[in-house]
Amino acid sequence: MTKPATGKRILIVDDGMTTRLYYRSVLEAAGFAVDEAANGLEGLERALLDAFDLLIVDVNMPKMDGYAMIARLRGDSTMHAVPIVTISTEAAGSDADRAYEAGADLYLVKPAAPATLLETARLLTGVAA
Amino acid sequence: MNDTLLARFIPEARELLQEAAAGLLTLERHPDDADAINAVFRAVHTLKGSSGLFEVPALTRLVHAGEDLLSAVRIGSFALRPDVVDQLLDSFDQVGVFIEQLEADGRLAADADRIAARGAGLLRAHLGEAEPVAATPDTPLEIAPADWLADIDAASLAAARARADAGETMLVVRYEPDPGCFYTGTDPVASIQTLPDIAALAIAPRAPWARGADFDPYHCNLRLTALTGATRETVEQVMTYELDQVAIRLLSAPPPAVVSAPAPAAPAVPSDGTLPPVAHVLATQSRILGRIGYDPLRLPSTATIIANLLRSLGREARLPAWEAALAEAHRDADVAPLLAFLATLDAAHAPPPAPMAAPVPVAPPTAGEPAAAPHHDGARAPSRTLKVDQGKIDLLMTLIGELVVSKNALPFLARRAEEVHGSRDMAREIKEQYAIIDRLTQEMQGAIMQVRMLPVAEIFDRFPRLIRDIARRLDKQVTLAVEGADTAADKTIVEALGDPLLHIVRNSLDHGIEPPQARLAAGKPAMATVRLRAFQDTDSVVIEVSDDGRGIDPVAIRDIAVAKAVIGRDEADRLSDQEAVNLIYRPGFSTAAAVSDLSGRGVGMDVVLSTVQKLGGRVAVTSQLGSGTTTRLTLPLSMAVTRVMVVDIGGSLYGIPMDMVVQTVRLAPDAIRRIKHDEVCVLRDEVVPLVRMAQRLGVTAATRDGDDDRGEAVLVCRVADRTVGLVIDDFREGMDVILKPMNGILASVPGYCGTTLLGDGRVLLILDLQEML
Repeated sequence: MTKPATGKRILIVDDGMTTRLYYRSVLEAAGFAVDEAANGLEGLERALLDAFDLLIVDVNMPKMDGYAMIARLRGDSTMHAVPIVTISTEAAGSDADRAYEAGADLYLVKPAAPATLLETARLLTGVAA
Repeated sequence: MNDTLLARFIPEARELLQEAAAGLLTLERHPDDADAINAVFRAVHTLKGSSGLFEVPALTRLVHAGEDLLSAVRIGSFALRPDVVDQLLDSFDQVGVFIEQLEADGRLAADADRIAARGAGLLRAHLGEAEPVAATPDTPLEIAPADWLADIDAASLAAARARADAGETMLVVRYEPDPGCFYTGTDPVASIQTLPDIAALAIAPRAPWARGADFDPYHCNLRLTALTGATRETVEQVMTYELDQVAIRLLSAPPPAVVSAPAPAAPAVPSDGTLPPVAHVLATQSRILGRIGYDPLRLPSTATIIANLLRSLGREARLPAWEAALAEAHRDADVAPLLAFLATLDAAHAPPPAPMAAPVPVAPPTAGEPAAAPHHDGARAPSRTLKVDQGKIDLLMTLIGELVVSKNALPFLARRAEEVHGSRDMAREIKEQYAIIDRLTQEMQGAIMQVRMLPVAEIFDRFPRLIRDIARRLDKQVTLAVEGADTAADKTIVEALGDPLLHIVRNSLDHGIEPPQARLAAGKPAMATVRLRAFQDTDSVVIEVSDDGRGIDPVAIRDIAVAKAVIGRDEADRLSDQEAVNLIYRPGFSTAAAVSDLSGRGVGMDVVLSTVQKLGGRVAVTSQLGSGTTTRLTLPLSMAVTRVMVVDIGGSLYGIPMDMVVQTVRLAPDAIRRIKHDEVCVLRDEVVPLVRMAQRLGVTAATRDGDDDRGEAVLVCRVADRTVGLVIDDFREGMDVILKPMNGILASVPGYCGTTLLGDGRVLLILDLQEML
């Protein structure tokens, strides 16, 4: 069932345990290596500690929200080239521009369908379907 | 989605609901506590996000309404009032009920939609909003598959399609009535015909009709399909009672939304994921470049993304062109070359007709990886906490219990090796091995008992809400102070403590704490304090409930006890004040003149006492008239291992819990006196009634040899505050056992609290003295 490893690592930052498990399940089944963080502060630490190919970040989180976390990450030179996707439940992407200004590269609406999530991850990490 | 995900969602949802409720209570007392409102909002927000992963529109809808209301509170446009807090708490309780339904049945009950709509309506009313009757926007309608339309006649279908093409939203409603619906008086055809604006209605058999004798006219085999111009909300309202049997789809794709003329560099991006990912990524990159312009720090991720996108699509040939565009952009400090490149890609990747994406298998996370860190300790390195189902720990505990029992067989084996086979060396080796295994099993027991330890916060956490609710109903003002909530005890103890504590606290609020005026008149603050305190005392855990209420009046207690015939007047007058206070634990005693709804419920404090004693604990009440009452529960830290005294009665072995045993004595026949028909003895100036256990158990006591002059074996025990002497045949050793509760038909036999296996395979029955005497 599990596809051969893509060699790509993805960090999921979301305070919802269920949500993290969902992303992880979808992405791991497609051969991505997945790490998790439960809030912005944790996400910041994990992202700076390790080299990830993609960050998937929730907007509304405890300790540090997604905007603040992304803005802080983009201030670090090792993080300038890493694609960052925000995922939010805000209807119709009303906060998308705020995410872009903070440094996000893409905005998905929660819950992202498995196919959307997976194809987006492949596109942003350069993995062929 | 799948079971793994649901299994993760259910505990998460409960945790979040608890957080939200706790935060609301804080907020009620400190309305300006920004941290509290943020915490509540975030918990509800996260819950909404997670619930969106499942087909539970009713749950999501109710949570969503709560979130919107809290959002208004958060930004200061709505001020929380106590009645609104009540409504929010009620809504969270309802969500808790939904979670229970999900856990039990994997789906919500049929009436969930109606309940959620009502709850959400109440919440939204505060925002001056009508509850949008639509189900959550998170679950857009899908297009009806072609086979749904097969039943519809061609002419009606064409007409409906024409209306859809003209911009109307036409819905396909498919209704598959419950096969037994005729028995409940449902008329499926009449139900669906109540839909307004029906463009076509088709009725077809769901499965081929049965023939001859198999045909059951009362079995509804119908499939009803309607095309309607009615809105989804209307359909859902009209068919509320059949919603679980109804599916709604769009007849055809909605007409493309009218896009306001976009700025050339920043095409509007519908960010709701309706674009296929390639188009969405490209459009977003153009939008970001257009908004932000040339920013050398911002470009690298865009560069990565487009390069990766080209690789992913197998179009590496375009990479040099992209790199050239990037170089040009950096040289001119202008994003125009990039936008131009994206435009060429965009054209090539104009949204292709989206093929139906195959569902992606959702695999459970690989075994062996640590579960997610609990999300409240983010400041530290990711914690290595493992969330484990309690059933698994219980299984481990049982297995270790079996191991302990099997281990006990080794000494028997050693004795056999020596006595039967005459091999002393073998016996010694077995004993050595036994010593090692014994030590290891003890360590294992200790380790697993640590795992089973839960903080008493598990039960303390429900009290803030409870006390608030009760105090409001009684018109009393009460705050709760909690100390030592992180004190841990065995899970069995912690869980069993919930009800006794609840009862003590209710009693305190009901009888102990005075109404505010009475408190002021007595020179106390109007706000009363109930204190829950837990701490560890060597191998016991102590839990105290204290209040600063009126205390217990020993004089009144004596009078009530006499009036209720709990004790006689003479006896009552002989009691010390402390003993009088303890009368509240006698069966049949209740200090309230009328049994109130709160602490009444037909049980008295005697139930508290018996529950605590069953756990091997003690209850002590101290009270100062006028200034308050303290109830102290002392419980063993762990129930996993019980130490018992093994005794011989009528040739069989029985176990008696060691914590009841006071002493063992041998009585000369003349030390046993008779008072009327009862045998007694005097020990330390106390008259101790004797119970002949063989008689009580209905077995024949062993006849003692004439030359056995050791006297009668008497085990002196303390049972429910009385001292009794159990006359038995002989004492055996004390031993640690893992108590197994009686089950099957034995469970109903009174007088035993469990069984355990002896090393030689025999079953030892553990006596429940309290029940027996």
